[in-house]
Amino acid sequence: MVPVDSPFYRYHPVTRLALLVFLSVTPLFVDMPEINLGLILAALVLLRWGRVRMQQIRRYLPLLATVALFMFGVAFLAPGDRARLAPFRLAGLTFYFQPMWWAFVSYCRLVAMLFGAILYFSTNRERDTLVALRSLRIPFAVSYVAALSLRSAGMFMEDFRTIREAEQARGLDLESMSVGEKAKLYTMYTVPLFAVALRRADEISNALFARGYTLSGRPAGGGPRTDYLRRRYPVERRDWTLSAGLAAMFVVAIVLGKVMGVFSDQLSPLHGVALRAIGLR
Amino acid sequence: MSASRTVPVSSAAAVWTVEAGEHRQPGIVHVVMLALFIGIGIVVGTLGSLAIPIGFVSAFWPGQAVQAVGGVWFGWWGVLAGMFFPFISNALSGSAPIPVSAAYLPANFLQAFLAGAAFRWFKADPRLQSTRDWVIWVVVGVLLANFLGAFWGTYVLAWFGMITQSARVTALLGWFFGNSIPSLIFGSILLKYVSPMVLRSKAFTKGWWA
Amino acid sequence: MNPAVEVDRFSWTYPLAASPAVCDITLTIPAGEFTLIAGPNESGKTTLAMAIKGLIPHSFPGRQAGVVRVFGEEVRRKEAAILAKQVGYVFSDPEAQFTSLTVEEEILFGLENIGVPESEIAHRIRHASELTMISDLLDKPPYDISGGQKQRVAIASVLAMDPEILILDEPTSMVDPLGKDLIVGICAELRRRRRLTLIVIEHNLEAFAALADRVILIRAGRIERAAPPREFFEDPEVLERSGVYPPQVTQVFARLRAHGLYRGALPLTDEEGIRAGDALLRGAGA
Repeated sequence: MVPVDSPFYRYHPVTRLALLVFLSVTPLFVDMPEINLGLILAALVLLRWGRVRMQQIRRYLPLLATVALFMFGVAFLAPGDRARLAPFRLAGLTFYFQPMWWAFVSYCRLVAMLFGAILYFSTNRERDTLVALRSLRIPFAVSYVAALSLRSAGMFMEDFRTIREAEQARGLDLESMSVGEKAKLYTMYTVPLFAVALRRADEISNALFARGYTLSGRPAGGGPRTDYLRRRYPVERRDWTLSAGLAAMFVVAIVLGKVMGVFSDQLSPLHGVALRAIGLR
Repeated sequence: MSASRTVPVSSAAAVWTVEAGEHRQPGIVHVVMLALFIGIGIVVGTLGSLAIPIGFVSAFWPGQAVQAVGGVWFGWWGVLAGMFFPFISNALSGSAPIPVSAAYLPANFLQAFLAGAAFRWFKADPRLQSTRDWVIWVVVGVLLANFLGAFWGTYVLAWFGMITQSARVTALLGWFFGNSIPSLIFGSILLKYVSPMVLRSKAFTKGWWA
Repeated sequence: MNPAVEVDRFSWTYPLAASPAVCDITLTIPAGEFTLIAGPNESGKTTLAMAIKGLIPHSFPGRQAGVVRVFGEEVRRKEAAILAKQVGYVFSDPEAQFTSLTVEEEILFGLENIGVPESEIAHRIRHASELTMISDLLDKPPYDISGGQKQRVAIASVLAMDPEILILDEPTSMVDPLGKDLIVGICAELRRRRRLTLIVIEHNLEAFAALADRVILIRAGRIERAAPPREFFEDPEVLERSGVYPPQVTQVFARLRAHGLYRGALPLTDEEGIRAGDALLRGAGA
């Protein structure tokens, strides 16, 4: 649920999209976990500042936990050529430092990128995404498909929920069901969605035709399409300032990270701390 | 899997044949179906990932079934939907950040494209009327598509450091089975029982665009 | 001057259908007329309306015979945007025609499609929303409002495009009684303010009977009767056998007439019924 009122809405949707790109892509050029942890912290601070209910973020925690379990589990079970790795013992088990460390570095990067998307989707309505795409002069058909996809996902999710609640009202007990039974039930619920989609496709395409929409999105007389909505979202000086700042930081991250190697994980203070902690230094 | 029977090849071929005087061209209904199919994929993909999450290698991802049937029913429109809905379903479920989803694109393309290509090339019936139709669906649409998808996907995972190189085979098997089993069950049900409706609809594409 | 609509021996058969949905229909609707189309379910009313709008054949596969013209030009040769400017169409299910995220965008969408300049858009949105009494709903998602409000949003989004012909397909079918009255009021207002050609398809003839210039009965794909309302409802029993129910007040006075208790013209509205009843009681109607 996107907050009704948020300081984010003072910024143009394109600026908010630029923030998404920055937070989602910058970690790719940064190996140093401290930097990525800093980006995660920045995203959390922005979520708070944006008046997002932090309870909403909790729903991602189980997934983040299982991802961590998976990544560290794989590093433990399949570390690679053991002869070339530095072992250490913990809780009676033998681990290997390099794959565990690399799992930690990758995990920090992954979570930093994820939080970029979480921040964006928690603070932007469908309309904001649509305005951002139209402001970037993405062809109207593409931005229309994007908007209709997001809206239809909401509609189908609602249909799915309605069917499930009706079943639960008739005594369906999901908790006691096995995985196989859940999978079967899931299939039964989702098949009708396709029939609904076919019907909606007909209805919506008829409605689009009735309102004069053509495949190209251009009006009958030719020329560019009027874009009234975009005019309602003026670009202010703060948008230019923030966008320029993000672009500059992005370039700096690439240069320092990949060209000069300043953000290498080997230069990370945590790397030294970890080595000392397990007695490898 | 229901009992299959032999049906004359001509009826399967007729599904894909543009009849004399029949004029087909891309229209608004295809664009709308693209959007709605992305919407369905988002719901199916998100709920499937959340059902049994192991992060980015879900033990149960029926989204691939949606990718495959989309390619069969709607040609390039379905392939495009199959390529792009995982971006959003991954973001919503938290199972993969956007750059990772972008790197998955070739895998998603193959998982959506191969079944559609095979059905059109071999003139198989989307309603899975004969043994031949089933073989084409299972071998190409389920096994080959998911194997190639898993191959590319695990390459992406290793590149992003989410798995070690030595875990790639295990991850590939996990990905392959995690997609193939729901795809086989869910995709077969969709083709068998929803195809008749789709074939009658304006959105069904005999060619690749119309 | 060309009539607004000319239907010339038009037939339409949907794919896989055994018989045509409409068969050999010939009809002329002059500009500015209010035409009410009635008939039982599956009689071909909507097919005819969609053919006037151009949804048939542009959006529906099938076989056509004959011709449909709007302002002298064949519908099948016109582009979608031209048809949208000339003929507005409101579907019976308002939700089926919503394509946008807010009410304002819903009204805006058609305007952008037909190339209305930005300088004119605000005025058109304001005017259409005031006429349909939805000015306070502009920021809301079209799915989060009542059935009657949805239908008014649908009407507003079409009216903003300023069509010369407006088709309303069962506009009150999914609406509560209060919403129905508002929609009838909008039609009456349109009738009064603009020289709009109005075509309304309805089962509920009660509300629209008195407003219409002509009522057409379609049954089994053919026009069975077409006449001004007073003449059309002259024989309610015949209409009822065709699956069309005249206004209740008309039915009551028809029964009184059948029993020899009333000999005047059949009223179409409650007000006319009250006057006729009053006259009857005073002995002047007998």
